[in-house]
Amino acid sequence: MSAAAVVRSSLATSLARYSRSWGLWLLLLVAPVAARLWIPGENDKTVVIAVNGSAPIMTSAMLGVDLGVVISTLLLPVAFIYLRSNATRRQPWQVEETTAAPRAAIALGRFAADVAVLGGVLVAMTVAGWFIAWLVTPLASINLGDVTLALWLIAAPALMGVAAVRILFDALRFTRGALGEFLFFVLWMVAIIAPVSGSEKNDSFAGNIVDFAGFVRPLSYSLPEGQRGSFAIGAAPVEHGRIALDVKAGLLSDGYVASRFAWAGISVLIAAFAGLVYMPHRPRKERRAGRLSRLLAPGAPTPADLSAPPAGPARAAFPMLAWAEARLIGRGPLWLAMAAAIAVGGAFVEYRHVTSAAALLLLIFGLTAHAGRTEQKGLAGLASTLTLPPMARRAAFVLAGLGWMLAMSLPAIARGGAEPLLLALALGAGTPLLTTLLAAWTRSAFAPRLVLLILWYGYLSAA
Amino acid sequence: MTELRLEAIGKSYRRKRVLDDVSHAFAPGLTLLTGPSGAGKSTLLRLIATAEKPSSGRMYWDGAPLPAARGALRSSLGYAPQAVELPEDLTAREFAMHIAALKGLDLAAADRQFGAITERIGLHADINNRISTFSGGMRRRLVFAQAMLGEPRLLALDEPTAELDRETAEKLGALILERAATAAVIMTTHLADHLAPDAAAVLRVEDGRMEAA
Repeated sequence: MSAAAVVRSSLATSLARYSRSWGLWLLLLVAPVAARLWIPGENDKTVVIAVNGSAPIMTSAMLGVDLGVVISTLLLPVAFIYLRSNATRRQPWQVEETTAAPRAAIALGRFAADVAVLGGVLVAMTVAGWFIAWLVTPLASINLGDVTLALWLIAAPALMGVAAVRILFDALRFTRGALGEFLFFVLWMVAIIAPVSGSEKNDSFAGNIVDFAGFVRPLSYSLPEGQRGSFAIGAAPVEHGRIALDVKAGLLSDGYVASRFAWAGISVLIAAFAGLVYMPHRPRKERRAGRLSRLLAPGAPTPADLSAPPAGPARAAFPMLAWAEARLIGRGPLWLAMAAAIAVGGAFVEYRHVTSAAALLLLIFGLTAHAGRTEQKGLAGLASTLTLPPMARRAAFVLAGLGWMLAMSLPAIARGGAEPLLLALALGAGTPLLTTLLAAWTRSAFAPRLVLLILWYGYLSAA
Repeated sequence: MTELRLEAIGKSYRRKRVLDDVSHAFAPGLTLLTGPSGAGKSTLLRLIATAEKPSSGRMYWDGAPLPAARGALRSSLGYAPQAVELPEDLTAREFAMHIAALKGLDLAAADRQFGAITERIGLHADINNRISTFSGGMRRRLVFAQAMLGEPRLLALDEPTAELDRETAEKLGALILERAATAAVIMTTHLADHLAPDAAAVLRVEDGRMEAA
């Protein structure tokens, strides 16, 4: 089979699988509806993008930039979660890895399918943008071309980059699991923060290529030097009324368009590279345990007592279940040692930004791993036939998560009183609740893990 | 006496009728469900295990109709599905204790019982190993062992001896027959099983209907 035929086959198979997934249709529907919420009204006190505390005056180009920026910054994790947890999450690697098909061709075919799906979302957003333009800009100044140009120039390369990262992370053995989600989170943070620091650089290809998300030049181009980094993305307060920005000039400035095409090209190269460095799956039986793994292994089981009678019901089934959940959340000596270190550290260091943040990060990994394994479809099906219903397990899970948070915060609470206690209660109850909701919805660990990591970063960086 | 009674049970998926007018009373003892692949045996077992609801007909547990008696049935049930996605990163023992907790069992006693069951089916040496390192046969035995935890009065086993060698299958068979002395054990098999001579009944499921073999 030729490489081109493999690309075509991988593309067609992936697209067929996508088209049968309800998630795709949900995404196509939700994105344009959500888009309307991102575009501010005349008198809104909070906007998604603010420059020097002012809300940009809405023009067709600004509308396109607005939608593009929201996609290329805030929605990139959603795109990554969708690609990693969607219909093409599982691939028949046991068979594929024994075929002669070039891995680069398979990777490119799948990358093309992912790009096509994200492109579909972008088309839906474009149409929504045209409709919103009719709502929020004066009729005479509507320019559908400007909306489209701005939206696609900013968002399309960023989405292609996410698709490429997904293919690369699926190709490498060590990024197929939790480390992949964590690395994406780090990459996403870097992609947002790094270009802002270079916003004062001259207009050039080199100045623009560091801006993967593509939002700096359009927003900063018409600002005076020294103020080019003074914009906020997210829930930004409007403090100084409105400001006129010539974002179209920024879009067409020297090196910007070339840098966007360069990012699209780099994405294709990353996808092909992923095929070249593809690491075959290795049966776990063949993996040699490292020194640390050998040290932490539970060892040989104690001899069985063949006369052991059948187990009777527990005296208190729900507390027993909560205890069992706690043991599986805080699983393994390494996790327990880290939890103990955080708890002890809490007696000496500040709670809000150090102890609670460290405890929350550790808890996120424990919670998402356990929620992912218990909510997966097959096991959840078996669990639904057991004595305690799934909702009881979820309640026990939340209780166990709260217990861990309180346990890790205990010395800090003893030292600091009510404030750490209230914070630990809120984080300890809210985090497992959100985890179990997301895991039950997506039947996996990685969507809750990524969402919680993003929220964790928000918690860490908030005052 | 413990009894599971099915009355004119039917099951359809979309427009396809998988089970039709199945009636039977299961008392303590071993009942084998035989029949060709795709005949509806596993579907019937899923209905019995309350993993799915029938499209028509009624089920009774200890004389009480389902769904009212579903909780009582589940607290007496041991279910080993044919295919279950096991949590690969857990050890067999951790997985079994997770199931024991969901069964509302005393965990210390369940741990001892799990040790005894796995010893008898040749899995004990591996219970502290991750499930990801298990072969197909080991997984099958683990799913069987979790079903046996506690003292189930209704045991629904879907092809528990598939993928097992004769010797190991006989070890499982011995445990199954022991349990069948006090529990209704319903077991599917698509091959002539070595347990057939000891079975209280052998039923054949074919084209969605069930009759004595």
